Amino acid sequence: MASGQSYYEFYRGSSIGTALTDSLDELITQGDIPPQLAMRVLQQFDKSLTECLQKNVKHKTTVKGHLATYRLCDDVWTFVVKDPQFKMEGIGSGGEVVTAPKVKIVACKSGDAPEGKKSGGRSGDYA
Amino acid sequence: MSGLALPSKAGPSNAQPPREEDTLAGEGEVLKRPAQKVVASVPEITAVQGLVPTLQNIVATVNLECRLDLKTIALHARNAEYNPKRFAAVVMRIRDPKTTALIFASGKMVVTGAKSEDDSRLASRKYARIIQKLGFDAKFAEFKIQNIVGSCDVKFPIRLEGLAFSHGAFSSYEPELFPGLIYRMMKPKVVLLIFVSGKIVLTGAKVREEIYMAFNQIYSVLVEFRKEA
Repeated sequence: MASGQSYYEFYRGSSIGTALTDSLDELITQGDIPPQLAMRVLQQFDKSLTECLQKNVKHKTTVKGHLATYRLCDDVWTFVVKDPQFKMEGIGSGGEVVTAPKVKIVACKSGDAPEGKKSGGRSGDYA
Repeated sequence: MSGLALPSKAGPSNAQPPREEDTLAGEGEVLKRPAQKVVASVPEITAVQGLVPTLQNIVATVNLECRLDLKTIALHARNAEYNPKRFAAVVMRIRDPKTTALIFASGKMVVTGAKSEDDSRLASRKYARIIQKLGFDAKFAEFKIQNIVGSCDVKFPIRLEGLAFSHGAFSSYEPELFPGLIYRMMKPKVVLLIFVSGKIVLTGAKVREEIYMAFNQIYSVLVEFRKEA
């Protein structure tokens, strides 16, 4: 591929990512596009979403809760937070609080993060 | 049980009871029961002015006698950190007794943060059990308390300059480097940090009696250098 830098593929699991994957699957089965093109699209998706989140998202959220477990292995932090409270900043009227019984936060090192500092990541519901 | 002040000769010393087992067989039982609190764990203490140093930290080492794959441990155990670029050990924590363990690939382990000898031992066994449950043939050998730290507040201010001057052989007082006086006691071999406020930190002991002995010895000296307000 053209760019040497590789991007995380985990945004493919988001709702926008699964929607894209489904559409591509459909196009492949109908014979409209070759699978190689679909792969190329997904790689571009990884890159675009990463850059987009880095550059364009200025909103912040703070999480408060009880840290049930944590783990650091292979530069990936995993946190299981019980009774988290997400305070959304700059969304709607501001100061909106979202809660859940449990949430798992997986934080990966971003490409430009200096050694020993962590940033970037994702969160999702944890059953 | 007599009070604290009676120095019974061979009292129920809590120093390393001979219940050393080198295996963790049936350890599940041990883990379930609460930490045994040895009632007579403050033996032979002549508490000066009712003051007894509080134990703040105990560092112990254990040999699990088994090579460990740290990546496996970091991946499967909870509350573990492994960053081989920074430190060649897994850092693991448990909540009860609240402690931290450094687990090395050689099978050696350092457990810190316990507030009593029993807690230190119990925590060490819990870590060994966790490693065992991950499929390693971990033993529980050579458990040894390496350091005990205690602290106390004599509740009167102290003239550190005077103390440093008259106990020059043992004292190091460099207020520009560190605000406390460092007192290296020879017998027992304990290091004390003495602050103007009257707060004392005692460290370097292998058994808690050394902390108590050191405190009792220093107390009479401190009274001598009490700062009159």
